[in-house]
This record gives sequence, C-alpha cells and structure tokens, in this order.
Amino acid sequence: MEDLKFKFFELINKQGHGAKIPLVGTVNDFETGTEDSCQDDIKIEDTKTEQTLADQEVLDSVLPEYFQCDGFDSALFELKKLPPVLNKQCIEEVCSQLERQHRVVSKQVLKLILDKTVVCEEEFARVLETKKLVGETVDAVKRARTDLSLAHQHFTTASLGILANYRKRTLVLDLLRSLNTIKTLERTEARLQELLSNGDFPGAISLLLECQGVAATYRHFACVAALSGKLQDTLDMAEEQLDVALSKMCYKFEADIYNKLQAAYSLLGKTRTAMDQLLMHFTSAIHNSAFSVVHSYVEQNNSTKKQYNELCKCVQETDFIPCLVSLCQALWKIVSSYHEVACWHQNHFSNSTATDDNFESNLNEQYVRQKLKNGLDRLWHDVQTRVSSLVLAVNLIHYKVDEFLQVLAILHRLEQIGKEFSQSESEELQNSIRKQSILYFRRYHAGRLDELRIFLENEVWTPCPVRPDFSLVHLQEFKGLRCSVQQCSGVGSSSSHGSQDGSVVGSGDGYFSRFTCSTSNTPFDTILDPNPLADSSFPDSINEPSGYFSEESDEEGPELHGEIAHNDRSSHNRYNKKNTLGGETCPLLTNTTLTVLRHCGKYLQMSRLLRFIAADVFVCLIQLFEYYLYSVHYFFASDLPKYQIEIPSSLKLQSVLKRIGDSLIQNPSEPHDESGQTVPAANISPDVDLTNSEQLFGLQERVVAVESLVFLAEQFKYLRPYLEQLLSASKHILTTFYSETVEVAPEVRHPVYSCVSYRSVDTQQALALMARVNWEVSDVMSQHSPYVDTLFRELQIFSMRLNEIEEHVHLNQEVLDTLWENVVRLLSFILVEGFSISNKCSNGGRALMQLDFTQLFSQVEKLCTLRPLPHRDFVDIYVKAYYLTDPVLEEFIKKHKEYSVKQLQALISCVCQGNKKSKQRLKTLLDEWDKLGMR
Amino acid sequence: MAHARYAYAFKNDSSHTIGVEFGSKIINVAGKSVKLQIWDTAGQERFKSVTRSYYRGAAGALLVFDITNRESFNALSNWLSDARALASPNIVILLIGNKKDLDADREVTFLEASQFAQENELMFLETSAKSGENVEESFLKCSKTILAKIQAGELDPERIGSGIQYGDSSTRRLLQEKNRRQQADCICRM
Repeated sequence: MEDLKFKFFELINKQGHGAKIPLVGTVNDFETGTEDSCQDDIKIEDTKTEQTLADQEVLDSVLPEYFQCDGFDSALFELKKLPPVLNKQCIEEVCSQLERQHRVVSKQVLKLILDKTVVCEEEFARVLETKKLVGETVDAVKRARTDLSLAHQHFTTASLGILANYRKRTLVLDLLRSLNTIKTLERTEARLQELLSNGDFPGAISLLLECQGVAATYRHFACVAALSGKLQDTLDMAEEQLDVALSKMCYKFEADIYNKLQAAYSLLGKTRTAMDQLLMHFTSAIHNSAFSVVHSYVEQNNSTKKQYNELCKCVQETDFIPCLVSLCQALWKIVSSYHEVACWHQNHFSNSTATDDNFESNLNEQYVRQKLKNGLDRLWHDVQTRVSSLVLAVNLIHYKVDEFLQVLAILHRLEQIGKEFSQSESEELQNSIRKQSILYFRRYHAGRLDELRIFLENEVWTPCPVRPDFSLVHLQEFKGLRCSVQQCSGVGSSSSHGSQDGSVVGSGDGYFSRFTCSTSNTPFDTILDPNPLADSSFPDSINEPSGYFSEESDEEGPELHGEIAHNDRSSHNRYNKKNTLGGETCPLLTNTTLTVLRHCGKYLQMSRLLRFIAADVFVCLIQLFEYYLYSVHYFFASDLPKYQIEIPSSLKLQSVLKRIGDSLIQNPSEPHDESGQTVPAANISPDVDLTNSEQLFGLQERVVAVESLVFLAEQFKYLRPYLEQLLSASKHILTTFYSETVEVAPEVRHPVYSCVSYRSVDTQQALALMARVNWEVSDVMSQHSPYVDTLFRELQIFSMRLNEIEEHVHLNQEVLDTLWENVVRLLSFILVEGFSISNKCSNGGRALMQLDFTQLFSQVEKLCTLRPLPHRDFVDIYVKAYYLTDPVLEEFIKKHKEYSVKQLQALISCVCQGNKKSKQRLKTLLDEWDKLGMR
Repeated sequence: MAHARYAYAFKNDSSHTIGVEFGSKIINVAGKSVKLQIWDTAGQERFKSVTRSYYRGAAGALLVFDITNRESFNALSNWLSDARALASPNIVILLIGNKKDLDADREVTFLEASQFAQENELMFLETSAKSGENVEESFLKCSKTILAKIQAGELDPERIGSGIQYGDSSTRRLLQEKNRRQQADCICRM
C-alpha cells in the first residue's frame, strides 16, 4: 500500500507540482479517501485484466527507477543504460519499448483520472458547500459579536452610572452625617459649660473626650481643625474648673463632688496629677487660711504685704485668743477635709481592689496612697508651723491664768487632733507651747509669790472656819482635779495605768468622727467656755473617763457650797469659839493657807496641761510651800529668849530653812530681783502681837500659823500619789521635797512653841530665888524650897491661859505636848542652872535638890498629859553626880556634854569640897577638854 | 465684786468667798499711777474673825449689796457699823448696789439706797458685775476720793495704818485699798 501511495504521489508530482489537493479535513480523511480510490482502481483492473494484461506487462516492465519521485532524470537514466557500443537496433528497441511504456502509463493515468473525476467533483461540491457554511457561520458570529458588543456596551455604561450615582449619594450622606456631627460638636460647647457649671465633671470630661475622638476622626475637614483647637481649649478650661473644684475640697469636703472629680480625673488619666494638685491645694489652703485669719485680726493700715510671721506679731494681745481660735477653726476645716479625702480614698481602694486587678489602677492606687500618707505629715507640719508662729509671736505673760489656760487648752486640743490625724507628737507645737508656758509660768509664779507675800504680810493668823473634813479637793480650783486626786490617793497603785491609755483621746471616738466636714462645728468652738477645765470633753490624761467627772463636779459643786451655806448660821459659833464639831476637829488653817492651796490647784491644772513643764511647775509649787514654811518660822520662831539652852529645832529643820533662805529669799541688801526667782522676806503684820503675856505671847496666832503649816504639809502628802503620777519622769525632786521639806514641817512646832514656853516662865526670877537657897543644910529637909512654888504658880498661870486659848483655838495633843515639853525642858534647865549657882553643897543640900526636883515635876505632871515627863534625867543625873567618886566623875565630865562648863565646874566644886588637889585637876581637865572641843 | 473688777469679766460660777481673796490692779487717777490692793472678804458671819483684820489699814471700802435682795440691803447698817468701828476714821466708803442688770427683780429702789447713803455720808453707785457697768468707775471714784482727802490734808499717808504707801517714785503712789464685800451671794447666783 505504501508503495501504491508512493506511486500516486509520484504521479501527482509528475503531472505538475501545482495541482495539490486542498487539505480540507484530516489526514485520515484523505487516507481513507485514497484507499477507497485505490480499491476502486484494483476493481477496474480486475475486470479488464485480459484487455490490459498486455498493458500490465508493459507497466510492469517500467523500470522502478522511474517511480522515483524526485531528482530522476529519465533521459540521463536511459542514456546511462545504453551499452558502450551503440547499436541502432537496440536503441530503437528501447525507444519503442519506452514509447509503449509511455502510452500504457499515459493511458493508465488517464483511466485512473477518469475513474476519480466524479468523486473529485462530488468532493468539490461538498467542499464548496462546506465553504459556504463556514462563510455563513463567520457572518453569524460577526453579527453576534457586534450585537454582543453593542449589548455589552449599553449594559455596562448604565450600571456604572447607577453605581457611580449611588456611590456619590453615599458619600454625600456620609458628608452630611459628618457635618451633622461637626455641628453637634460645635454645639457641645454650650452643653459642656452647662455640665461643668452643674458640677457634673465626669460627664463633661467624657463628653469632651468623646468630642475629641470624633474631632480626630474628622481631622480631614478643614473646619474641624479649628474646632478641635477649640475643644482643646475647652478641655483646658474644664481641667481648670476641675482644679478649682478640687481646691474647694480643701476647705469643705463633699463626697459627691469629690466622687465626680475623681471620676473626671480618672477619665482624663490624670489621677496622679490630681493627687499632686490636691496636695498642693491643701498646702496653699493652709497658707491662705492662716494668712487671711490672722490678717483679719490685724489692724488694716499697716498689715499689707507682710509676711505671715510678721503679721502674727501685729496681732494685739487682746485679739490673740479669738485669733487663735479662728485660726484653729480654719485649719481644722482643712485638716478635717484632708482626713475625709483620705477616708474617701481608703473606702475607694477597698472597693476597687475587690473588683478589678488592673495593673494601671493598682499603680495609681499605690501612688495615691503613698502621696496621701506623705501629705499627712506635711500638712500637719504646715498646720503646726502656722499655729506655732502665731503662738510664739504673741506676748502672753500679761494674760490672766484662765485665759492662758484657755490658750493651752486650745493648743492641747490641736495637739490631740494632730495625734489622731497623723500620729504626730506635734513637736513644733509642743516646743512653742513649752516656750510660751515657761515664759508665762515664770512670770505667773513670780506674781503668785509676790501675792503670797502680801497675803502673809496681811495675815492675822486667825483660823479660817472650814468643814471638819475639809481638804484641798473641796476648793474651786481643784474642781477639775478632784476626781483624779481622790482616785490617786485612794487606790494609789492601781490607777497608774490611766496615764498611758488615757492620753490618747478622752472619749472613745476621735475628733474626726465627732466633727465632720458636713457640720459647721469644730472642736474649737467649745473651748471658748470661760472655764476650760470644766469642759467635760477636755480629756484629762490622769482622769477617769471624762464624762463621769464632769457630771460629778456639777453635782458636788453646789452641794459643797450649799453645805457651807447651810452650816453657816447653826454652826458658826462652834466654828468660831472652838474649832470642834461633834468631837471632830476642824483643821486649823488661815486665809493664806487657803491661798497657797488655791495656787496649788491652779499650778496643778497647769502642770496637767503642760506635762512637759510639770517638773518646773512642781518646783514652783514647792517654793510656795517653802515660802510659807520659811515665813511661819521667821515670824514666830525668831523671838526665842537668848539663854544658854539647847536650840529646840532639829538640824534638819535648820538646814532646810537655810536652804530656803539662800535660794528663795531675796537678800535685802541686793537690788530688787525682777526675774522673779527670789522674793523678799515677808514681814509679820503689825496687827499681830507676840509680846502680850496675857495672850501667852501670841500663842493663838502661833498655833494657827504652825498648825496651818502642818495642815498644808498634810495636804501636800495627800497629793503625793497624784504628783507621783504626774511627775513620773522626775521623781527625785518629789522624793527630796517630801523627805526633806514636807517631813520637816511639824518640826517647826518646837522652835515656835518653845518661844511661848520659854517666856511663860520667868527664868531670871527663878534663878534669883534659887541663888538664895542654902544647899549646905546638914539635915535632910522635908519641905521643898519656896522657888518651887513660885515656878509652879507660873506654870499654873500658863496652864490656865492655855485653857483660855483653847476656848478659841483647838490645841491638839501635839501642840500641848510640844508646849509642855518645852516648859519641862526649861524647868530642867532652870533647875540645873540654879543648882550650879552655888559651889557648895552638902548631902542634905543634894537631897533638897532632889526633893525640889521631884516636887516640881510631880506637880507639873498634874498639869499636863505628857508621860513620862522628858528631861527628867537631865536634872536627875546632874544631882546624882554629886555622889560619884573621883575617877568616875572624870569619866562623867567627859561623857556628859549636855551640861555647860559652868554647871560642871560647880559640880566639881561641890564634889571635891575637901579635896583641893583633885578639884584643881578636874577643873584643868575640864578646861582642856572644853578648849579641845572633846566634849 | 472685786473679782469682777479683777478679772474684767463676769464669772458665772463665781462661788462664795472663803476667807479673803485678793487682787491687785494699777489704775490711773488724775495722771497718777495708783496700785490698788483689793481684798475681797467673805460676807458670811463665820468668817468675821478672819476678815476683821482687813478693815484695819484699809484706805477705802466698797460696801456691796444686792438690789434684788431686800435682806442684803437691810443688813447694811450692821456692816457699816462694823466698818466704822474697825477701820480708821478716815476710811472712804462707797455704797454699791449690784446686779443693776436685773432691774426686773429689783427689790431696793435707787432712791431708797441713795437716801441711805446720804444719811450715812456714803457715796452711792449702782453697778453690774455681769455687764461690768460702773465697776471700773466705782474703784476709780473711791481712789479719787482718797487722793482728794490726802491733798486736802485730811488723810496723812505717813500715819501707820492709813493703808497708803508712796511708791518708789514721787509720781507713783501705792495705795492699799481694802474692800469689803458685804454680800457673798451677790455674784454667785447671777
């Protein structure tokens, strides 16, 4: 087949290269087509076999070379085939064969062409038809495309238009909305103002912030730029307003507003700044308040543009207390506001920590907490500084004690507020209080000492009638102290705990809970009470709960006075004539004693308020007592008769008196001491007569004076437990005072009463009488000497006068005993002195001496209650020494220093009456010892 | 009364005087500085022994009664005779009707009191310790009268018991004035 196909190609190629069959359809189509035609050829050949056999043979004889397709040059080929020797015949033969072959092939080709023509034509027709269809299709497609493109074109443009329009509309709507928003923004301004003025700060701020957000969104609008600038301004202004509102919190805290403020600041994210700002406001609030308060009390003309401290100095003395109160009130409001701010934050913290654990808010919280804590101390420090400046600037020394106590009470209260506020000890305040107090107290004390001198100089030593159970707590001045003094004296040790816990705040709740910002009251309103110590809310550190005490003092006060008034008529006779009431003894005291006790009360009040100068106050208190003691001794013990007799006052008393004289009493030769440390010695009132023997040399006055001193000492003893509590820090002063000065008070009795005792017996007369007695009697006498009777008569008169005086003044046992003891002392002195007048004595004389002595003393025993009579031995031993032998006498002289040289010489003379030698020896010994001070 | 004078302020809780209380004050009389020593003596009978000594040596006395208390007025003659008996003959006595502020409760008319004063050759003033009215004046008047008496030679300050002492400088006089408070009740119950 391939061969055949080849042949066809060859054929076609041979017949002209241009005649190509159009390549429509596939190669397959073409192949099948040719196959079909080939098959047809074969069939034709079969039928005509015989006719064409010859042809066939010819065909077959065609050399294969001719069937070569290209490059075949038939002529060249035939020529090459020719034999080398050309033979005509052969050539002719070949020519004919070739001609035949050519004919056959042509015929064959023609036949084949004929065979295929119809098919070819048919095929052409189909090709043409196909071509025509294709052309139609192309047209349709073209038309379709045109239509399509038209349709496409129409459709797209419209949609796009719609879309574009829609889009525009949307944009315009957006713009409209934006513009509306901007318009709203513009209008917010007014709304903001409204909110701010209504105090709705968080609302305003959140609105502002919202607006700012919105403005940021519309930044692309030119108009918004200006608007946002304006918004920023508004925000600044709002912050300013917040700041103003915040500063108002310093003066009057209001939780609602503060809530809003804090919310606003936290919206702004400026919680910390707000806190800083607030603290600053507090500081300036204190500064401004203090300044304006003080300024309002200073005269207008010269007060402009002065520093605060300078301004304080311009406050008039009379304006000081109201100024201080106003200042404290103003500062209290600020402090109280701060307290409430702190409370607010405390509550706020506890709420917020429970709900959110946000790091940022925690941080803020910490910051605020720290700030508030630090601010507390600083604020209090500022308060202290302001108040201290004012207090120190003013000269208080001319103030009355009540006024000064009022100042102290105010400052004390402030101090306590400080303690409650910031656990501060308020050192600055305390220092200024201390400084002023010491200044004031020195001056005050000098005044009191001087007053006491005037009292002493006017005192006539008449007993001042009081209740039998009178004690210092009944005095008005002890009103506030009564309870604590009694408590201290009553239970002593068990009450010592009070000083610690009582010192916080009197009543259970603090000032901050009692005086809140919402009320216009301040803790400083009540101090204006003229008697600050009666104020029950004033905490007494040593006191029991103050409520109890105030009640009691209200009730007891009138009762006490009522009793005095009631007793007035019924008992005044008894009061006056004899200070006994139903067997009970009224204490003997004078007007001056009462004055000392009153001062004592005032001093104690002061020391209670000024515990840090309590020791100073106490030293001054001691001085009052010492001055009284000194004066009593000075008035009534300086007229002792000058005998060679033992001074009856103890060494201890003398040293105390000397100490007082050196430290307290002004030396008259020195210029007047203005410092108030010393006071001139008082002079006894000229109305007091100490020389009248009828009146026992002013015994009544002396008794009143000394017993009032003893009473005073007792009252001081009564105060001791209280003072011990008060002066726990400086106990040694107290101990010294009590063991020396107070203890010695009863000893003043001896020197004072001995003045009376010694003068009541006429010593000179007695001695003169005794000088006349003859001691050289040989017999033992049975009758005593007459001088004994003289002495006894004098003693009887003394005793009688004592009884008379007892009608007016109660003489207690100690007084009587002291009086009699001194009388007996004098008697024994008189006896010994009288016995020693004579240098000569017999045994009988010695016996007479004993008789006289025994007689006198036994009679004295009847007059007084003193048992056994003292100073007996003084006489007894002296008389009996007569019987001593020489060597024992020597020892006796050495040992008995109580006898004077004169008395001993007389004794020696009597003993050694017959022995001149030993008499001389003993006298020489006595002289030597006396010189050497060995006896 | 002396208390009111002394403290310059009325004390509501002012109580009975026990014994004698004391105050001092420097006032100006006719350009001279005069220091007053004021003794406020108890009015109660039982204190008489204590207070009598203060009559002696007093230059002046204020005899105070309560205009709202008839009894206190009636007792005046007793007090006056005491004062005349105990004090120096030249003593200047001022009669004071206190509680002027309680005019509604008045039991002693001004006329009655001034009549009594006239009869006894006393000066008379009505005061109010509560309001302080005439308190200062009463002391001033008393001091002025004493000074006038000295200048007229009726009173010799050098005499012992005159109650008058010259001060350190010639311009300054120390005047001891002892005042009698007649009614202890007159202040405390106001």
